[in-house]
Amino acid sequence: MSEQVIDVSGLTRRFGGKTALDSVNLSLPRGAVYGLVGANGAGKTTLIKHILGLLRAESGSVRVFGLDPVADPVGVLSRIGYLSEENDLPGWMRVDELIRFSRAFYPAWDDAYAEELRQAFALEPAAQIKNLSKGQKARAGLLIALAYRPELLVLDEPSSGLDPIVRRDILGAVIRTIADEGRTVLFSSHLLEEVEQVADHVTMIDRGKIVLSAALDEIREMHRVDGRAPSLNEIFVARVGTTAAAVEL
Amino acid sequence: MRSPIAAVGWEFRQRHRWGLIALAGYLLILAMIKLVVVTRGLPINLDSPESFAFVVVVPITATFTYFLAVFTFGLEGDLAARQSMYPARMFTRPVTTAALAGLPMLYGTAAMMILWLATRLFALWPSGIPIPSLWPALLLASLLAWTQALTWMPYPLPGLRIIVTVVWLGTIDALALLALHFKAHESVMLAILVPQPPLAYLAARFAVARARRGDVPDWRGSFAALAQTRRVLSRRRAHFASPASAQAWFEWRLHGQSLPLWVAILLPFELVLLWGSGDSRTLVFTILFAVLLTPPFMATFAAAAVSRSSPNASDSYGVTPFTATRPLTDAELVAAKLKMAIRSTIAAWILVLIAIPLALELSGASDILLERLRRLSEVVGTARTVVVVLLALWGCIAATWTQLVQSLYIGLTGRASLIKGSVFLMLGFFVLFGPFAEWIIDSNRLGELWSALPIIFAILVGFKIIAAVWIVVRLYHRRLLSDRTLVTGAAAWCLAVFAIYGVLVWLLGTPHVPHYLLMLIAILATPLARLSTAPLALAWNRHR
Repeated sequence: MSEQVIDVSGLTRRFGGKTALDSVNLSLPRGAVYGLVGANGAGKTTLIKHILGLLRAESGSVRVFGLDPVADPVGVLSRIGYLSEENDLPGWMRVDELIRFSRAFYPAWDDAYAEELRQAFALEPAAQIKNLSKGQKARAGLLIALAYRPELLVLDEPSSGLDPIVRRDILGAVIRTIADEGRTVLFSSHLLEEVEQVADHVTMIDRGKIVLSAALDEIREMHRVDGRAPSLNEIFVARVGTTAAAVEL
Repeated sequence: MRSPIAAVGWEFRQRHRWGLIALAGYLLILAMIKLVVVTRGLPINLDSPESFAFVVVVPITATFTYFLAVFTFGLEGDLAARQSMYPARMFTRPVTTAALAGLPMLYGTAAMMILWLATRLFALWPSGIPIPSLWPALLLASLLAWTQALTWMPYPLPGLRIIVTVVWLGTIDALALLALHFKAHESVMLAILVPQPPLAYLAARFAVARARRGDVPDWRGSFAALAQTRRVLSRRRAHFASPASAQAWFEWRLHGQSLPLWVAILLPFELVLLWGSGDSRTLVFTILFAVLLTPPFMATFAAAAVSRSSPNASDSYGVTPFTATRPLTDAELVAAKLKMAIRSTIAAWILVLIAIPLALELSGASDILLERLRRLSEVVGTARTVVVVLLALWGCIAATWTQLVQSLYIGLTGRASLIKGSVFLMLGFFVLFGPFAEWIIDSNRLGELWSALPIIFAILVGFKIIAAVWIVVRLYHRRLLSDRTLVTGAAAWCLAVFAIYGVLVWLLGTPHVPHYLLMLIAILATPLARLSTAPLALAWNRHR
């Protein structure tokens, strides 16, 4: 089994005239929480879509668990838990139907854990997905991404649907739990404070290029000024020249 | 730009400038040819139907369908959705609803009128045919205006837009054809067509007003009892046996029920006519024929939604991340759709096969059918009669399934321009099929067409086989299907072709019909190229 969970090499992607990813190299070993940060449009989701095999590498290569996610979607996707920023769960399903449907795809599905999560997230089995609030939909998505204890959890802007308290409690607990079990989390966000709370390693992406990738503590040490460790936001400004939030606005 | 009328015009012009430039170029070429012919008196005419079709009919048809797409905003919206296809971004503009509806209609009507008048003026028409001045322009404008009104209307059920639009446009087309058939004077044609654009405008204004205030009627609740039964049944099943069965269930819940639902809605309206048929054999058989054609006909509309992975996604043609991240191969995702189509077809035909005998018995029309079957068995024998009936039934069922799945190869690409382009091409085909058939019959060319059939079929078979080989090579190289599946599929296809061929030889084995023609028909009738393209199309969409 490959020790590199994700291995991206020389990945370039263009959409028309726009270069979304430019010679990206990224290697994520097993067993940590990786924060992927960047402004909106920096290329985070494009990179994640390549990792999931939803985009085909135009040049360069993408390997997940040593496999090509486009050539072997079953081998890769059965080991990944994914929470999409688009939150596109089928609105016509009920929560119990969503759970029943999802468990069919994952042999390692843990019914007891799924039920525990359902209760913790206060999701009614008979509730229709389309009638759930945005936060509840995110919780339902998180439930089906976690219940089979995936080797790799990919969260693409997961906090967009959650209020600050739920965001901190749920995501923090889930991500730590998974990382403690030797699993890997790739967590993309443009909210740097949030990443700072949970990530062990941070990869900064700007206009399709990786500008920084290292352990969070290492990054802080590298940017220490007058004995003070700057925040991730300050480091981002120093590296990219603007704040993620400002770019978003 | 200081007025809404200029802004709307600019938007159409800017977005479709390349199409408009191509059209202007075409009209310019026509004008130059005519100028040369007229000034130099060259002996050029277009009496040959092929050259006339190539120079005039095909370009004008393509332009007509293109204008339909442009001025209905058909390239932006979703034909099968309940919501209006009028772009929501325009509702916030500070203009009246009358202007929102009227301006695109005004531009569309003007474009259609100019298209006809320019074609009439610049094209070299076949000699001896009086070319009407105005009514074809009005017919084109009317068809566009009604398409605009009907596509902008919010509907209470998904898919209803397609049915209403096709039926209504077909009615207008049929009216015009009837008038033509009876050689109606231009004034009669004008009397039929002049009121159409204003009436369509009123309908469009009403539609846009409803859409602007977010008023979308919803009849889906009327089927609550059905949904409740479904829930009770689904609770009984604890787990799915496999990922494939889970995905098939997903497809069934998403798309499988629309065809049986539409058939269930239409059947009573059709079969109730049996009670009014009296002793008219023709009427009884016409009604039965219509009922048997209902599932395959409705399947063409239900098929519009089958390739979509979610009716609610913003990009409803692309594969949603929820579906794309299922740990299934592309072939397994397509297989789930094919299984759903089988179940949907079976459900629809169970309804038909229960309803027809019931209605025949209750209406007293069963005697007419039995008597006809008895006479047929006296002529061709009982075994042959049973086989003919079963084959006809099997043909209808197979046609229903084929209609549901044969457009997957376009729908699964997820490319809106391809999908909508094919829809408008089909609409254009249906609009022009009537006049084309009329022309074939009027010009006594049926015999020529019949003689050319073997060559036409042979060419089509050639295309089909070449396409199939290309597709199989692609499937093999990209490992989208296993070797075993490819070999099994090829063997099953050959078996199906020979089975159909054998039946055709048995049924139509006369010296007048050569056997190679029956083989060509069997090859053309068995789905191959389009169906096997579906995994390639999905892979192109899922892994962009």
